[in-house]
Amino acid sequence: MVLTCPVARGRTTQHDRAPGHSRRNLLRAGALLTLGGAAAPLTGCDLFDREEPDPAPDPLEPLAAEARELAARHRAALAADPGLAGLLTPIAEAHEAHAAELATLFGRPASASPGGPSAGASAGGDRAATLADLRQAEQRGRESAAKLCAGAPAGRAALLGSIAAARATHVEALK
Amino acid sequence: MIHRQAPSGPAQALADALAAEYAAVFAYAPIGVRLTDAARTAARRAEAAHRARRDALVLQLSAAGGPVPADKAGYALPFPVTDAASALRLAVEVEERTAAFWRAALPHTTGADRNRALAALTDCAVRATRWRRTAGVTPVTVAFPGRPD
Repeated sequence: MVLTCPVARGRTTQHDRAPGHSRRNLLRAGALLTLGGAAAPLTGCDLFDREEPDPAPDPLEPLAAEARELAARHRAALAADPGLAGLLTPIAEAHEAHAAELATLFGRPASASPGGPSAGASAGGDRAATLADLRQAEQRGRESAAKLCAGAPAGRAALLGSIAAARATHVEALK
Repeated sequence: MIHRQAPSGPAQALADALAAEYAAVFAYAPIGVRLTDAARTAARRAEAAHRARRDALVLQLSAAGGPVPADKAGYALPFPVTDAASALRLAVEVEERTAAFWRAALPHTTGADRNRALAALTDCAVRATRWRRTAGVTPVTVAFPGRPD
């Protein structure tokens, strides 16, 4: 990246650009040769084409993923049983709001939603079983949020506390 | 009622939470007398829970050697409690407000103190949900319990 930028910069014509590319390719080939198998993750692309490596994942990313997964569970349950919309829609929206709020902490957009809940959306199943599944998922979610709140830096403790408390209220609402 | 401002430090945060618990205990007396049956029982239980938090805070602040705010003879209620509907509305409000004080204590606490603050925030939020359900308020949950508007 450092080596190729000055070469490519300022070249405007197609004709002039071509040597820049071949120089880049040369550098890339050379780098591959010299580094060889010793630095397996450092491919030519990583060395020359990327701005910055991805930052380490934030410790709260699993909580954001869990919030999206819980939202998807509720959405799936109310799709299967629209009579539950009044109860489940605000809960799904709360999880979505939690995921969005956590994403602002990470300083980058939230990663893609999970495809959908692996369990819980027992379409056509009875309502009591659906609510019991959701209640269990909320209880697990409450525990994971409370655990993260306990060890979080001061700047994150209030948000995590609200998320843990919200999940506890979901357990109550689903009774 | 107690109006909440951002606490300046751990002692202030817990002292604020104690003042909120005093006010909550006070408010549940007029709430209880306007309710009947299961709702009245729930009000008595809620009042006992706030008394327990209050007593634990008095002990905690005393042990820390700092100032322990005293209870007041009375607290201004945000609206008069004249019937069951206004009693339930006040119960929701008491729990929401008290939750906000405990939430504000979270950044100022660590370890066991933070876990106690989180347990208190959670209890208030869950009781607010129960009171909303009893009052027929929907939705019964809020996205961020204790967060200022």
